[in-house]
Amino acid sequence: MGSSKDDSATDGDNSSGDLPDSNSGLFSEGEKVLAYHGPRIYEAKVQKAEFRKKEWRYFVHYLGWNKNWDEWVGMDRLMKHSEENVLKQQALDKKQGVDKNPKSGRSIQAKPKSSTEVKVDKDDTKSNGVTKGKKRKSESGVEKDNVSLEKIVKIQIPSTLKKQLVDDWEFIAQQDKLVKLPRSPNVDDLLTKYLEYRSKKDGMMTDSVGEILNGLRCYFDKALPVILLYKQERQQYHEAVADNVSPSSIYGAEHLLRLFVKLPELLAYVNIEEETLIRLQQKLLDFVKFLQKNQGTFFLSAYDSSRGSEGSSKGKDN
Amino acid sequence: MEGGEGRDEEQDGMSVHSPCNAPPSSASSLRKEQSQVELELRLLEALEIYPPAKLRGIHRHFVLYGLMEFLRRSFGRHFSPSDVLQLLDRFYDLEMLKPDDDDAEILNQEEDFSLPQSYFIKEES
Repeated sequence: MGSSKDDSATDGDNSSGDLPDSNSGLFSEGEKVLAYHGPRIYEAKVQKAEFRKKEWRYFVHYLGWNKNWDEWVGMDRLMKHSEENVLKQQALDKKQGVDKNPKSGRSIQAKPKSSTEVKVDKDDTKSNGVTKGKKRKSESGVEKDNVSLEKIVKIQIPSTLKKQLVDDWEFIAQQDKLVKLPRSPNVDDLLTKYLEYRSKKDGMMTDSVGEILNGLRCYFDKALPVILLYKQERQQYHEAVADNVSPSSIYGAEHLLRLFVKLPELLAYVNIEEETLIRLQQKLLDFVKFLQKNQGTFFLSAYDSSRGSEGSSKGKDN
Repeated sequence: MEGGEGRDEEQDGMSVHSPCNAPPSSASSLRKEQSQVELELRLLEALEIYPPAKLRGIHRHFVLYGLMEFLRRSFGRHFSPSDVLQLLDRFYDLEMLKPDDDDAEILNQEEDFSLPQSYFIKEES
């Protein structure tokens, strides 16, 4: 991913003024696409689409990559996620000498330290007067901490919990429902329950587990408003969480489970040694299994459709 | 972030009168002293991997866990979080340390949650 980088949409990009009509239509927000980045094609998702300066600009997130790589691109960088184009992607990968597993290939080859440095340099020379200091800074910061993507923690989420997450998405994003807050048990309760369960099982020496659980709570409280909410839930958050209240006392298993989807991303910032990472992985997995074992009691089976707290009926509540 | 030069504050956080200022040694405590030195050396080694500044940020619990594990492996015995913090206290005034800049950078950009595509594979095929 070391090639030239289109900057923010506000920049006076004059490279391609016209819409290429050859392209099979526009891309929509939320659409999964294939995106060129440098010599390769990556799976990406269109987060935003905006029409600026006579051309469509898309803010894309590269799936499986840190969001610091998210960027505005023109449509010349995107392709529909069709079978044909996936084949194209694979062919390109092959040509670039990537091994079978695109993930590992990407992590090793596509993002070495140097590539970002090159990229940053390019930004500098481009110097088109856009305020991008912040972005660059975060990129270099990530680079420093995030050097080895292959050392990332892997948590295999059991299939019944994956299903739970898909149902969660369906309730909220598709059916316009919400988790009724506050939840009981809340995240704090869940963590405490687990610690009790663990100390009963092991006797003593649970303080490393305790430290991990504290870490999870800390992540949860910080991450919830930023990356763990669907768009539909933001208003509810502002209503339900007062300034001096921690989300872990309001939200429950549904949202905690989402943290586990994001956890590898967050933990990548800590440069954990391999042996420790393996142990940590086991401990996190044990916690996930605890959630699974109690899935019936910890998770809601039905979400709130009235949206009563928001006062506005969208005609959905019949 | 409390203002001032972060990198320098790390230096300032270094306590002047440790670690050499061990209690007056009698012959019997000599061995103990050696093991203390060993302990401190290992801790400093661990801090190369887990920088103390990260003990102030969002990752602090996992950094502390990393230190606990490092010492556990090095000495074959359990170290509790407070053991590690006490040990650290000989070198650093954690209160004085400026949180890691990079830690402040993450989670400052709001982004709607989305499930990875792999979760929907069944529906797609």
